[in-house]
Amino acid sequence: MKILVLNSGSSSVKFQVIETDLERMKEHRDEMLAKGLVEKIGLSTSRLVLEVPGRERYQDYREILEHRAAIEWALRLLADPDHGVLERIDEIEAVGHRVVHGGEEFASSVLITPEVVQKIEATSVLAPLHNPPNLRGYQAARSILPDVPHVAVFDTAFHQTMPAHAFLYGIPFQFYTKYHLRRYGFHGTSHRYVAFRLCQVMGWKKEERRIITCHLGNGCSLAAIDQGRSIDTSMGFTPLEGLLMGTRSGDMDPAIVPWLMAMEELTLHQINTMLNKHSGLYGVSGISSDMRELMKARAEGNRRADAAFRMFCYRLKKYIGAYAAAMGGADAVVFTGGIGENAPEVREWALDHMEYMGVRLDKERNRQVVGAEGEITADGSPVRVMVIPTNEERVIARDVVRVLNGIMPTFEPPETVA
Amino acid sequence: MGWELHDIGIVGAGMMGRSLAIKVAQEGLNVCLKEVSLERVEAARREMETALDNAIARFSITEAEKKAILSRIRWVTEFECTAGCDLAIDAVQEDFEQKKEIVLELDSRMRPDHPIVINTSTLSITELAAKCRNPERVVGMHFLYPVTRTRVVEVVRGQLTSDLVYERALEFARILDKVPIKVFEMPGFVTTRVVLPLINEAIHVVMEGVASAAEVDLALKLGYDFRTGPLEWADRTGLDRVLNWMQHMFQETGEPRFRPCPLLKRLVRGGLLGTKTGRGFFRYDEKGRRTDRLPDDRPGMI
Repeated sequence: MKILVLNSGSSSVKFQVIETDLERMKEHRDEMLAKGLVEKIGLSTSRLVLEVPGRERYQDYREILEHRAAIEWALRLLADPDHGVLERIDEIEAVGHRVVHGGEEFASSVLITPEVVQKIEATSVLAPLHNPPNLRGYQAARSILPDVPHVAVFDTAFHQTMPAHAFLYGIPFQFYTKYHLRRYGFHGTSHRYVAFRLCQVMGWKKEERRIITCHLGNGCSLAAIDQGRSIDTSMGFTPLEGLLMGTRSGDMDPAIVPWLMAMEELTLHQINTMLNKHSGLYGVSGISSDMRELMKARAEGNRRADAAFRMFCYRLKKYIGAYAAAMGGADAVVFTGGIGENAPEVREWALDHMEYMGVRLDKERNRQVVGAEGEITADGSPVRVMVIPTNEERVIARDVVRVLNGIMPTFEPPETVA
Repeated sequence: MGWELHDIGIVGAGMMGRSLAIKVAQEGLNVCLKEVSLERVEAARREMETALDNAIARFSITEAEKKAILSRIRWVTEFECTAGCDLAIDAVQEDFEQKKEIVLELDSRMRPDHPIVINTSTLSITELAAKCRNPERVVGMHFLYPVTRTRVVEVVRGQLTSDLVYERALEFARILDKVPIKVFEMPGFVTTRVVLPLINEAIHVVMEGVASAAEVDLALKLGYDFRTGPLEWADRTGLDRVLNWMQHMFQETGEPRFRPCPLLKRLVRGGLLGTKTGRGFFRYDEKGRRTDRLPDDRPGMI
């Protein structure tokens, strides 16, 4: 079946049309028919980009003021005889929506009903920047395609299997009961995809394996996946926790926040922006949030770029070690995301001196795997390390198929503490 | 109906006009910003660049956001572009005659149900609207400086303002992520009316030699949790503006509590206008930072 996958941001909509079903999923034959995005929604210079495999990229500009018009534009183009891939819009049999935050309500993907919409709205307080535009995209798509099923796939759902000792913060318990303030983790769709793809490639049963997945993109997070379940992940209540990222600080002493606010007389907004947009690789290096530019500067002898690079790798190494400890060892480590797939130096630094836990990196293989799937450990390495390009849209499309066939993985609900 | 907010006209690119333009553009709306001459446009554009760079240095925005903000602002010297605006704001200084002229210009060009917003703290919306063809579309909004940071705006209903236009002004406030305080026209509304006597009293205390300016501010900061003391606040606002408001309030109401303290007049006459001249009640460096804080008034101590 042809599935439309939508990822709606505040001023953009990314979309893909994916052909898949249970048969194709089993054989890893899901097919991406087209992908594209509409950006700068709300402006007179909104841009639409459409990419169809084997064809030249198509671009167009016009004034698009809201999500409905953006999705209509995309659909019209998808059914366009010259540029599109569909004969008619109603070839689309289902829509999958990325929703960032599912709170504690959603531990798996779900068919969207009015009750589900209400629950997502209620969760918006936890993700005020992301859930509202996700929902706007859904409302728009539903009004254009009212007769097909719509499915929500949450970034947080995969990590809902974390036990309480991993998801609670060491602050007064009342805030957990009052606000659901706890660790949620993000990038769940990506972690799930690369872990299960790894098992497929290796011919492993996921129920027998301990896997550490590293999603290193603009945002970076790791997950410890024990027997197919996420038991810990490095992002927390918000995507700020954990690794050093492009512009985010990652872990730090929380006492810095009030101290700096007092010393610099910063407002809540300023300290928040400082930690989310002025920190990380960019803040430390003063050069760029982009790992490629950072490595160029580092090669030219820039000391701050070097410090930022080392910090990034060092923290990654610490988390890998921590998650191996948490699971009593690991069978594999997976790298994905822009940095994870394309920066062999980062992988080499992070995995250096890890023979003690069974990682025997093959430096030559590592250098050769760039932007592609491939193993980077030496033959016979007790812990296997793979690079697997992520594909969140594919997971969303597959979840649509699963939900419609009533075969979502059912995990035991996380233990209740309150 | 069929009214949506996309294009906002702002007349006057002074401190308030620029701050408003930045905030409006930041929320994703397009701005057409009018000054009287190309020279003034150039000067204002440079000031805006500096303000945005300072905002980056203070972590309020990022480089990319600065670009996006500037790309949404169109600078003009003629009223023409306001014809296509969904809402226009007069943001020139508190001068009745000048504002009246602007309101009439906007009224003659804009569609009759598109709001004309007057940014004022003390002037009469009703009187400014009276001569318009469509006086019911004139509404007051008292933005507080800096617009990028202050969460409140007083939305002022004049005698002739229609419900529809008032609702649209509230909608505009919400788009700007501001908390609207609904007020009826009365000189000073809430904020100015309450703060002026407080400042005036603080100046009297200094003039009478009861305590130094620094100690007056510190007492209020520590005692009542003020972020900024009233005298520093007056310095930052500009003592000439404070004096202007007070004289206007005194004139309008005849209430002695609004009679400007002689010390305030003396400072303004001496050109000690506050932060912008480097000296008022306190001293400031070229970046506007206080250089004469008491030891107990340091960041981190409060």
